Amino acid sequence: MTVSDSVASYAALLLLIVAAPIIPGVASRTKSILTGRRGAPVWQLYADLWKLARRGIVLSTTTTWIFQAAPIIVLATTIVAASLLPLDGRVSTVRFAGDAVAFAGLLGLGRFTLALASLDTGSSFEGMGASRDVTFASLAEPGLFIAFATLGVIAHDLSLSAMLGNTAARSAAIPAAGPSLVMVALSLFALALAECSRVPVDDPSTHLELTMVHEVMVLDHSGPDLAMILYAGALKLALFAAILLNVLLAAAIPGGWRSSAGAFAALAVSFVGMGVAVGVVESTMARLRQPKVPLYLAGGSALALFGLILVLR
Amino acid sequence: MTSAVGAVRVLASGIPASLTVHGAMPGGDWVLGIDSLSAAFLVVILGVGAACAVFGTHDSALERSAGRQGTWFGQLSFATLLVGITLVVAARTVVVFLGAWEVMAISSYLLIVAHHEEAEVRRSGLIYLVATHAATLSLFAMFATWAANAPNWSFDALAAASPSLPPASMVAVLLLALVGFGFKAGFVPLHFWLPPAHAAAPSHVSALMSGIVIKTGIYGLLRVLLLLGGAPAWWAWLVLGIGVSSGVLGVLWALAQHDIKRLLAYHSVENIGIILMGIGAGSLGVAYHVPVVAMLGFAGALLHTMNHALFKSLLFLGAGAVYRATGTRNMEALGGLARRMPLTWLGFLVGAAAIIGVPPFNGFVSEWLVYQGLFAAGQTRDMSRLAILGIPALALISGLALACFTKVAGIVFLGTARAPRALAASEVTRGMYLPALMLAAACVFLGVIPALGIGVVNAAARELAGAGSVALPDAVRSGAWAISLLASSMLLLSMLLWVSRRALSRRRATRHEPTWACAYDLPTPRMQYTSSSFASPLLSIFGPLSGVRVERSPTAMRTHAVDLVLDAVALPLWRRVRRAALRLRGIQQGRLHLYLLYVMAALLVLLGYLAFGSGP
Repeated sequence: MTVSDSVASYAALLLLIVAAPIIPGVASRTKSILTGRRGAPVWQLYADLWKLARRGIVLSTTTTWIFQAAPIIVLATTIVAASLLPLDGRVSTVRFAGDAVAFAGLLGLGRFTLALASLDTGSSFEGMGASRDVTFASLAEPGLFIAFATLGVIAHDLSLSAMLGNTAARSAAIPAAGPSLVMVALSLFALALAECSRVPVDDPSTHLELTMVHEVMVLDHSGPDLAMILYAGALKLALFAAILLNVLLAAAIPGGWRSSAGAFAALAVSFVGMGVAVGVVESTMARLRQPKVPLYLAGGSALALFGLILVLR
Repeated sequence: MTSAVGAVRVLASGIPASLTVHGAMPGGDWVLGIDSLSAAFLVVILGVGAACAVFGTHDSALERSAGRQGTWFGQLSFATLLVGITLVVAARTVVVFLGAWEVMAISSYLLIVAHHEEAEVRRSGLIYLVATHAATLSLFAMFATWAANAPNWSFDALAAASPSLPPASMVAVLLLALVGFGFKAGFVPLHFWLPPAHAAAPSHVSALMSGIVIKTGIYGLLRVLLLLGGAPAWWAWLVLGIGVSSGVLGVLWALAQHDIKRLLAYHSVENIGIILMGIGAGSLGVAYHVPVVAMLGFAGALLHTMNHALFKSLLFLGAGAVYRATGTRNMEALGGLARRMPLTWLGFLVGAAAIIGVPPFNGFVSEWLVYQGLFAAGQTRDMSRLAILGIPALALISGLALACFTKVAGIVFLGTARAPRALAASEVTRGMYLPALMLAAACVFLGVIPALGIGVVNAAARELAGAGSVALPDAVRSGAWAISLLASSMLLLSMLLWVSRRALSRRRATRHEPTWACAYDLPTPRMQYTSSSFASPLLSIFGPLSGVRVERSPTAMRTHAVDLVLDAVALPLWRRVRRAALRLRGIQQGRLHLYLLYVMAALLVLLGYLAFGSGP
């Protein structure tokens, strides 16, 4: 890897960190257009984050240090997880054999601490949210790993840089593995909606605590703490956007992007695309009943499993 | 102490050490030895053993001051148990091995029934005793089959005899080893003694049993593999399958528990499953001649054995401290202990993060190796590529483990106290939290610098992977350092975020208010989510497999967890056997002349056999 590659990978990481909050904005703008409302501007989340960062903090008297540590850990793990992805379609800032496992593990650590923080408040609503969140996440985990295993078999390497970047092994395997890649992409999109707590698994715009999942877990967080959690949620959407981009990009143009500028433009487009896709899903379908969610996740995982079987042969 | 020095020396130099006692010993010369496999186990055994011993000394001092008699006997049995385990991994002849195995089994029993005044404890002890002797019996059968055409009973002779073992004996040896060592390791369906025994034993004993004693089953399997020089493919698939089912069912049944120590015991079943998945992948690599798979699988299994010993004993010591402070193991009665027992909470939290396999803790490193072993198997061109299907299974196991430990840590330590006894708890003495914190430090240390742990198991994994094996791929070595890099960047980033959060929060006053209960003014601790309600969505998905039995009445509903093997199969089967045996009562009349008649009849039958049956 040359110096310019390394600089490009850091620049792509910076782009992700700066541009991620646009995705929830695009999603809600899409929803408002499709449902014929005026709606909030796409940079609404930036404004919200700015506002929250300057607010004071209200702490529940029941809580301990983990309540305050959780937002920090959630944000830190998400950013470190981002550094494992080849955001510019070539290499990531950190890469090693089996780093896909670390990617999932980092997101898991964030989820674990956030769920603990919500139990820390002693609120029954937040306990309910935590319970549902870890339930859905534990069912989404196998699907995520099947998708990773499929990409790994195609690339002959279980490192995200090889699985998503444009390596020689991957380019050679692409024509035959095309159908698998499409299935993996669909499955990853379905799982991403669950991981990022969007419709059809969770509805971020609901106002009834009983029906919330992720939103209710953070009821007691306020000010900068809430800002970090919201920002980490946007980053997570951006991570999955980047993964999907590189899965589909490889299927469409095996050579990949020649220049960094093209790669950055593609990354930015993928953020907008993710926002639009999420918005379209949210305005065309209702949330699933909770007993149906395991079926949805199993279906998503099964799709990736078909992809895996196709490449194993 | 001497064995600790010896183990470290073998690990450092790579030269095996051995000691032979000649003379008129029963069963030939007694040989002890330390090779890389024994050394890897010994280091953990003695380290964890020391931590548990310190905790136990302070814990039983408290019991003594509360007026309990005879705690010295528990201390003595604990020391005997440690000696027994050390001898098991150092034995190089069958006689010493089986002798040490029995010393270990019996002293464990004496420790489990320490509180024998409780009926439940006596029952658990009895179940344990039956299981452990079933194990010993099949080990006797295994060694007898194996040594049938060996000149003596030393392990060297067994290794030399194994190539000439007839195929049927080979199958018998492999299956008997799986049953004998499987009872000790406690995989599904041979795990049924494990949860009751771990719940009944004093906490430091549960810690040692779950962390170390059950690992002697793993050690035994690996020793057999080493002496046989690899196992056929069917055995590897069998072990992989057992690993998957044990892992998934273990964590699922753990979710259903209300008793914190039973819950941790089921997690041992789960982690033995993960270890077996590693051994299965490693054996597949040997059977299909793919050294990389063998190396990654065995290294992952060995490292997970070591890591599990550290974090599981840490968790049991934490549970023991909670039990000492509150007098209950029922999670539904606990809550809010993080404020009252901050150091115990810190240790328990580290253990929980380690067991769910997230970076930067040690549990992640070994699961990372097992994932890579399964993935490397998936890269091959023969049957063994199907092992890649173990990856989603392992992912499901760690996902469920995350859910389960969110429940344990959150319900026991966070929120508010659900019962007065949890409200009255205070931090345990230094002698009880320091050993736990030492183990926690080891978990973090091996997670932040994975190269260390991998270095300890490397030599043993190479031996297991066979003569022509390669060292661990360079990618794994550099990967271990990359994990260190991830850990430090995570730490740095968290500190940065913490500083900026502090700067932001300084500008406005921080208010302290009661938890927002959605505009309801009088929330009580009873309104909190409980351990049952937390686990309920997952358990209902898995239906009857989760082993939850619900009792409803017009005014109340109770759920309790049943063990699908012990309560649904083993005990009913045993009752049926006992009823059938009652039919034989007719021949037991208690009259002397009848018994003399039986003796005569038996003699006549034998005479008849000698005269006509035996032939020329």
